[in-house]
This record gives sequence, C-alpha cells and structure tokens, in this order.
Amino acid sequence: MAEERAVSVSEAMARARTALEGVRLKVVGEVSEFADKAGYRAAYFTVSDGDAAMQCLMWREQYEASGVTLRCGMLVEMGGHFSTYAAKGRMQFVVRSLTLAGEGRLRLQVAELARRLEAEGLMRPERKRPLPAYPERIGVVTSPRGKAVHDVLRTLKRRYPLAEIVLAGVPVEGAEAPAAIAAGLSAVADAGSDVVLLVRGGGSYEDLMPFNDEGVARAVAACPVPVVTGIGHEPDTSIADMVADVRASTPTAAAESAAPSMDELSAALIKTRRLLGRALQHRVQAAAHRVALLVRRPVFTDYTVLVAPAAQALDQVALSLRRALPDRLETDRDRLARSAADMQRLGPRLAEPAAQRVGHLSRDLERAGALLLERAEEAVTHTAARLHDLSPVAVLGRGYALCRAADGTTVITSAAQVATGDRVSVVLGRGRLGCVVESTEEEVVNG
Amino acid sequence: MDEAVCPAPGEMNFGDALAELESIVAALEGGQLELEESLTRYQRGVALLQSLQGKLEDAQQKVTALIGELEGEVVEAEA
Repeated sequence: MAEERAVSVSEAMARARTALEGVRLKVVGEVSEFADKAGYRAAYFTVSDGDAAMQCLMWREQYEASGVTLRCGMLVEMGGHFSTYAAKGRMQFVVRSLTLAGEGRLRLQVAELARRLEAEGLMRPERKRPLPAYPERIGVVTSPRGKAVHDVLRTLKRRYPLAEIVLAGVPVEGAEAPAAIAAGLSAVADAGSDVVLLVRGGGSYEDLMPFNDEGVARAVAACPVPVVTGIGHEPDTSIADMVADVRASTPTAAAESAAPSMDELSAALIKTRRLLGRALQHRVQAAAHRVALLVRRPVFTDYTVLVAPAAQALDQVALSLRRALPDRLETDRDRLARSAADMQRLGPRLAEPAAQRVGHLSRDLERAGALLLERAEEAVTHTAARLHDLSPVAVLGRGYALCRAADGTTVITSAAQVATGDRVSVVLGRGRLGCVVESTEEEVVNG
Repeated sequence: MDEAVCPAPGEMNFGDALAELESIVAALEGGQLELEESLTRYQRGVALLQSLQGKLEDAQQKVTALIGELEGEVVEAEA
C-alpha cells in the first residue's frame, strides 16, 4: 500500500479536517448542553436527537446575529460544516446559521408579533374596557362542536338566563380559522352584543396558532364591545389573550366573568326588598315619633293652659270694672260740671294780667337789646386802640427799627447772629433799608 | 320623582332597573326625604323589585346561531 508511511498526529488531524470540511449540512436537533460564557469567542453547545449527539460551535458574531437565544431543550435548525479541534482530537460542527425549528420557531414568531403589537399600544392597560354588569346580549365566538361551547352555554344558562346569546360557530383550528374568527367577532358585535366571549378548549401549541394570528389580534382590538378570552391553554398566553379586555383561563371562567350570577342576584333582591321595607318603616316611624311628641305637649292635652292667663286677666279687669264704675261715674259727672262753670267764670280774668305782663316784658327786651349793642361797640373801639399800641408797626413809628437777616425772615436780636460784611434788612416806621454790617459789638452800654 | 317621567319597570333593562332600585334604597336609607316622597319612592322601588324578580324567575335563555350550527343540546348543569 502506497500510504503505509506513518504520519504525525497533527497531520492525521489535518487530513481528517480536510475530509470533514467538505461536508456541508443542515441539521435539526435538540440543544442538550449549552455553554455561553462572557469572554468566549464562540457559543459551545451540544445538539442531539436522543440516539446521537454532536458538539457544535458558533462564532460569537454569527450567534448574536442569528437572534436566537439558545436554551437546553430547544429544537434548532443549523446550517454549517464539520471540522476538527486538533488539540483535543475532537470533531465538531461549525454552525454558520441558526434558527428555531418547529414549535420553537412558532414561539419566536409569536413573540415577535407580540412585541410589535405591544409597541403599537394594543396591549396597554388603559385600553382594557370594563365588562357590562348586566349584559343583555352576549356574543360567543368558538367552535360549534366540542366541550368549550357547551361549557359556555351551560354556564350562562345557569348564571344568567336573562341574557340573549348570539353564537358564531367558527373553525378554531387550521388555515381558515383566523379569518373565520375575525368574521365571527364582527358578526356577534354587529348583532348588538354587549360583551363577546372568544373561547376554545386546550390543544397543542400549534393548534392554538389562530389565536396568535395578527388578523385575529387586530379584530379583537377593533371589537366595539369588550372581549373576554377563555383559551384553555395554561400556561401559554396567546396574543388574543393579551389584546383582549379580560383574559379568563378557561371557557367556563370566561362565561362566569361576563355574566352575573342569577342566584346571587335573587339573594341580593330579597335583601333589597328587606332594606326597602325597613327604610320606609324607619321613615314612617320617625314621622310618627315627631307627631307623638307634639301630641303630648300641654297645649294639646289641656286647652285651658293655652287660655288660662288671658282668662284670669280678663276676670280681674271685669272685677275692678264692676267695682269702680258706678261710684266714679257719679263723682266725675259732678266734678266736670263744676269745672265747666269755673272755666266760664275764670277764663277772661285769667287772660288779662298775662297780656299786660307780655307787654312789659317786650319793652324791657327792646331796651336791653339797644344797651347791649352800645356796650359792644365801645368794647370793640377800646380793644382796637390796645391792639394798635401793641403792634410792632406802632413801636417802629416811635423810632425803633427791626433788623432782619438777608433771608428776610430771621429777626436779628443779637450782634452775635451776624458777621462783618453780612447783608441785613432794616425795617423802619416807614420804609426799609438794605444794609451791610461794618462792625459788630457784643456788648452795648444802654444809651 | 314623577311617576309619569319614569319608564314602566317592565320596559327597562335589567341593569338600569337595578341601578334605579339601588338609588331608591339609598335615598330612603338617607332619611332626608319628605314622608310623601318616601312613600312614592317606596312604591316605585317595590314595582322595580317585582319586575326584576319576575324577570329572573321567567328567564329562558335564547340562543341564536349567527354562523355555523350548534351541535348537541345544552344540558343543565349538574347540581
């Protein structure tokens, strides 16, 4: 054999590498081990299918670009080629492209749609509308077959048969389901529903995909009345759940949240009847009590109380009157007659001296007035003469002079008030002199 | 409240009638009404109550299928 020559381990590994690198593949498998440590230049993981396993590496830059965050148990689809790690004599798969496979892929798509709708604000808490307390018409959108629709109808019948139910029986699985669900929502809303239940029983994740459909999500958000979802698939939350006004865990729970309980209502009405009766009874008792209090007041129990003081006073007056009237009447009549006679007699006599006295008095008054006036005139003349004597003008007339400072107001009474060269104004008995001080002398011998 | 202005209890929807009944109870319990007004309200309250109870007793759920056909009968809940 031509190839019998022994080669080094390095060369052996190099040949293996050359042989392997030509094998380019797409591989689907489940992540069973995963190491992603900061500082590693690649993500290292193991993918298996239960019977076989292969070690993989993906350079960090490409791993981050893939948008996939690996976790154990994830089903992935990888594109790449085999290679070797010579130092450990290991074969490894170098991953160039990485996507989620199967349900993992669906979940990724759903998460992406959820992010987009959330960014649009479709899941905001303030968009959630309160449910009507007593709906008159309840819309139900679900499959007409199976447990879910019967759970809902039975619950509504038990709780609130008062409401009318409008049902849109639509396929909830398969390709045509999203459009049918959206049409169903709009049909029950158009029929005048006050609230809509969108329900289905549990299923596999893929079975629930119509409830993760963008068109369904938008139909729920656009529904003119509140939507309650009951999509029995805990712990998964569908996009329809996120957009709905109320999310219930099951169809039955959805029906319960949308309808009041008739039993509770009946009990409440019986209680209300009692309250109503009691409230009126209280009101009437209060009125009766007030009347009773009034009735017991003395004015109503004994009318004499009301008139007693007046009656007594009346009696008293009557008594005095009866006693006084006859006597006084006689006396008064006599006195009146006498008075009339006196008046006739005395009248003129009484008036005469009075007239005389008035005459005297008025003459005295006239005399006194004239005298008073004379005295007043005398007093005024005398006072004016006194006033003239006291006037500085009169003093000046006798040869004195008044010296004022240049400001014309300050009167100079001391040589100390002026200095040589100051201008002063000297007022004489008649006229005024403008002077300049030539000298000052503090003490002057009176002469 | 003027009787002529109020709709007949039978013509009101359940929620509205219940809300009015609750407001009547509250007004009566408040004790601020004149006696005559209290009596009028009470009568109205009783009429609403009877109508509401009647509705609950006589209720027969009506189910209309707008799209598709319901399969199977709706069975009563097991007690």
